[in-house]
Amino acid sequence: MNIAVLIKQVPVSNDVSVDPVTHALVRESSEAMINPADLNAIESALLLKEQTGGKVAVFTMGPPDAERSLRDALALGCDEGCLITDRAFAAGDTLATARVIAAAVKKYGAFDLIVCGAMSSDGATGQVGAMVAECMDIPHVSEIQSVSLSSNNDSCVEIIKKVHEDKLRALVELPAAVSVNFGCNEPRLATLRSKREAKNKPLITYTNSELMLDPMMTGIKGSPTKVIDSFEPERSKTASMIKGSAKEIALQLKDLIEAEKGKI
Amino acid sequence: MKKKIGIIGGGISGTALGYHLSLYDDAEVVIFEKATIGGASTAKSAGTVCLFDDSLKNRYWDVRLYGFESYLKMEAEEKGSAGFDKTGTLVVATNEEVERTIKTGIALAKAAGYTGEYITDKDRIKDILPDISTDNILGAGYTADDGYFDGTMISNTYAKKFQKNGGTIKTGVKVTEILKENNKVTGLVTSEGEKYEFDTVVDCTGPWSKFTGEMVGLNVPIWHTKAEAFFLCPPGKKLSYTFPVLKYPEFYALRAGDNIFICKSHLSMDLSNPMHAGQWDPDKLPMTGGTDDYFIDFLLDQLDAKVPGIVDSGLVSSWLSYRAEPVDFWPILGETPVEGYLLSTGFGGNGVIEAPAATRDLAKFIMIGESTPLLENWAFKRLLNK
Repeated sequence: MNIAVLIKQVPVSNDVSVDPVTHALVRESSEAMINPADLNAIESALLLKEQTGGKVAVFTMGPPDAERSLRDALALGCDEGCLITDRAFAAGDTLATARVIAAAVKKYGAFDLIVCGAMSSDGATGQVGAMVAECMDIPHVSEIQSVSLSSNNDSCVEIIKKVHEDKLRALVELPAAVSVNFGCNEPRLATLRSKREAKNKPLITYTNSELMLDPMMTGIKGSPTKVIDSFEPERSKTASMIKGSAKEIALQLKDLIEAEKGKI
Repeated sequence: MKKKIGIIGGGISGTALGYHLSLYDDAEVVIFEKATIGGASTAKSAGTVCLFDDSLKNRYWDVRLYGFESYLKMEAEEKGSAGFDKTGTLVVATNEEVERTIKTGIALAKAAGYTGEYITDKDRIKDILPDISTDNILGAGYTADDGYFDGTMISNTYAKKFQKNGGTIKTGVKVTEILKENNKVTGLVTSEGEKYEFDTVVDCTGPWSKFTGEMVGLNVPIWHTKAEAFFLCPPGKKLSYTFPVLKYPEFYALRAGDNIFICKSHLSMDLSNPMHAGQWDPDKLPMTGGTDDYFIDFLLDQLDAKVPGIVDSGLVSSWLSYRAEPVDFWPILGETPVEGYLLSTGFGGNGVIEAPAATRDLAKFIMIGESTPLLENWAFKRLLNK
């Protein structure tokens, strides 16, 4: 099975602020990592590849230094990488981003399955995976716990999704896209050897010269979302100590929660 | 009249100096730390203070022993206050010169009442470290009596003792200006706009010393060498034995919980190699990551040949730190051409080993003007013609 994994490079710390003009998140930190849920997506794809054979190609859209995260993904066992980068793609909303990623995946080749993390640790919209599927006109299941090749029908994958306290098991016809929940599996670690091997794995870059998308459909110009306002939460250093027996502390906490109910 | 001393930097060097100065009745001392006590490069130290290895020459045995026993005393007073993990140490002899150094170190350790043996039986070496390759080694020195400490814990314990003895610590406060008149230091100014008068100001800022020295117009001749460390999760996730501090001339390793910490040794760094050394801004160091690809290649080759049992460990995390290294890899201790401006810096990777003895002697010099062989050997003036 040929699998495309979509990953995002996110800041290591939560040290982000809000641009007062564009209302976009300003990520000052130079430290970056693969979005945690995307590590679960990579693990899901690698497990599936071990089950079915084929290859795993990893895609990310971002600034040129996002190549670091692609190399990290290659060190985990992905076979090929694709960096999607162009100033014309910058500051796009989820739809403009999904259009670009879908175009890149289509151009790269035919895939049976697209896997991504359910949500990023910085933007946390949880929309891009489903939007990519819509742009590619393929079925999509979001926030799943696991995916495996159907034992009865090799043109389908079997997914398990949590629904309240129950598990939903479904067959999804390929090609399809899924987004996996953070923590749904235990991502493997790279080794020194796989790090070295990753340096020589194929990695290509797509800019808009290759994708040839209408600039009015990408980046900030192609984004129907208009952010009216965004702000940093007010931080307060005030604190009060709750004292007493365990029961007294519990009662005081209950009163505090009751008093704050509905304020956020 | 009390002698007023300002210490810039609250790492292992600054807090140890503060403590040793606070033992004198007529010292009035303030430590200025721009972030937190025992953070930055001290926090990234491996904290190995072994009874014998090649990190410090045997002629400085008293320095090693004073540091080791200072920390054991801390642990005896309050368990955990020096973060001691008594794993023992295995120092591998890959050539006859290293073998001689190990044997001398063992003799010194035994004379001080500790255990130590030089082992040539390769099965016994593998009993201690089953994942090691005993090919191409002559033998190994082993003691069960030492291990590694925690530089951050030690710094905070020194800081606590210093405060108990009447010392003052200003954390979250940056020194922005050092005041001097007629080439003599008179005090300093902080980021809070406060002005302090001092008879002596001591730079204990390690990798920042070059920038700190610029405030008095002094070129502190230190380079940065990269300390690139990895935390490895062994195959099977948990070792079935106690991983000792492992020392090779090229790298060292120790356990960190269920993981293994591994780092290139500072004496194997080449100041003329831009991949190893340079002069950088420590403020720009990331908290994690930042390691170079060459280091992965280096480490893979080393482990493949020397500790093959852990070469396929998972990479849990990594970080980059800068060691402050003078050209001869020895610290700079004591007076400078600027009167009243003293240095206790440039410990390279050996701050946790050397700081107790170095600052003990420096405190003595500051308070009673008495020099010691250590101060003579590590004096700033030795570097003037290099």
